[in-house]
Amino acid sequence: MISEFMAYPFIQRAFIASVMVGIICPFVGNFVVLRKMSFFSDAISHSAFAGIAVGALLGIDLSLSSIVMAVIISFIIAYLSERTSLSHDTIIGVAFSGAIASGMLIMGMMKGYRADLYSYLFGDILAISRADLFIILSVGVLTVVTMLAFLKSFLQITFNRELAQVEGINVRFFEYLLFFIIAIVVTVSLKIIGIILVTSLIIVPAAAAKNVAANMRQLFSYSSVFGVISGIVGLAGSVYLDTASGPTIVLVSIGIFIVTLLKSRTV
Amino acid sequence: MDALSVENLCVTANDRHLLENITFSIKQGMVVAIIGPNGAGKTTLVKAILGLVPYQQGSVLIFGHPIGNGDLSSKVGYVPQKLEFDRSFPLTVSELLHFTVPPAFFLPFHKKKQEDEHIHSLLEVVGAQDLKNRSIGSLSGGELQRIMIAKAIVNDPKILFLDEPASGVDIEGQERFHDLVMRLNREKGLTVILISHDLNVVYRYADDVLCLNRKLVCNGKPADMLTDEVIKSVYGEMMGGYIHSCHDHD
Repeated sequence: MISEFMAYPFIQRAFIASVMVGIICPFVGNFVVLRKMSFFSDAISHSAFAGIAVGALLGIDLSLSSIVMAVIISFIIAYLSERTSLSHDTIIGVAFSGAIASGMLIMGMMKGYRADLYSYLFGDILAISRADLFIILSVGVLTVVTMLAFLKSFLQITFNRELAQVEGINVRFFEYLLFFIIAIVVTVSLKIIGIILVTSLIIVPAAAAKNVAANMRQLFSYSSVFGVISGIVGLAGSVYLDTASGPTIVLVSIGIFIVTLLKSRTV
Repeated sequence: MDALSVENLCVTANDRHLLENITFSIKQGMVVAIIGPNGAGKTTLVKAILGLVPYQQGSVLIFGHPIGNGDLSSKVGYVPQKLEFDRSFPLTVSELLHFTVPPAFFLPFHKKKQEDEHIHSLLEVVGAQDLKNRSIGSLSGGELQRIMIAKAIVNDPKILFLDEPASGVDIEGQERFHDLVMRLNREKGLTVILISHDLNVVYRYADDVLCLNRKLVCNGKPADMLTDEVIKSVYGEMMGGYIHSCHDHD
């Protein structure tokens, strides 16, 4: 049955997209998990929702408006965390609620039902175009190359911020760069998995890898392998069972997480 | 040239003076202890010197350069009081030390081999060869301190800041730790600035001592500076008798 479906170009594109996102999201997700920033990536995806609403209202490209809004909100969170005594959690909570409320308010102001806007909420991997694939590939390559180029600095900051600063790393620059990368990766993954579940694809494979990895090399390898398995098995499962692809992919990744958790408890 | 020169340093937080007009200098190759009661500003002083805490007035020069100078970072090593990190971080000792070597994206094979050998020799220096592949989160307090020393000296610094590095380590571990630091001081000419609560350690290892209680109370040789009067003014009446036991111990 799967092989029959694979004859369709839109299914082929969906599988390619799920493999690419399965590599990119967990790669960035490793830093999100190690730095305990899960709530942050959730706030970013919901900022993208506000960006989509603003884009629709102004009649501009929705991907562009969502990226711009996600980057702006991520920088505001970073700036306020740095300059105020408010806790990181509180700032993210306020940004999160503000983004959702603004998005819903703007959508409510628009006349008629906009199915394209609501598709961003749940994602539609089967509607991925060749242009979307090209965008995901470009962002993926740029993300992985940038993070590998500065991997030592990113890891030093993740291990201990103060030591990294004493060792001459420009902590502020790399933190903003990381927030920028997370914002971009979250936004390009929205079409596939949707605003509600995109954080899962960033967090869950990385968290599963952390359960069983003994070193950083294993963490990065396992998280990408788990992400790709979740993408392929989840998509195949959704085709076979006729279920929504996004939730199926996420549920497969959670299955992997549970297995790794049990394994880590028995070691 | 002075390894460290601090002039009129003032640190304020929430309208409270944490440090007032601190002035001192330290010659290269010396071991200097900073003592003082809890809340005296010892950690704040080290953090201000390292640029981790902003100061409102004064100047800090390390080997004649202000902190924040890019070239300076390779000259400075730091072991914090309490290392805060995620114990479940899947990071090995070897990886931690590799990350501390300045970044190089495309590292040629012979350079990678050199880096490996350098890290192996560092682990030998701190007596931790067998910890190379251990996870950082699984190390005991003493083991972690030795690895943090290795990390602090990985780029061959000229000055090392140690903020109560042996606290929480058993007595044997403390001895090994201090012996290691003194060996690095002798063999590499490393300037060491050590925060300690242990006056025995100060007497035994330090060339000079700085007594701090928000202000600089004394600065000089431990035997000359740590008088009953100074100890009482720094720590209060309760500590007055302690000084005699330290002298007797010597």
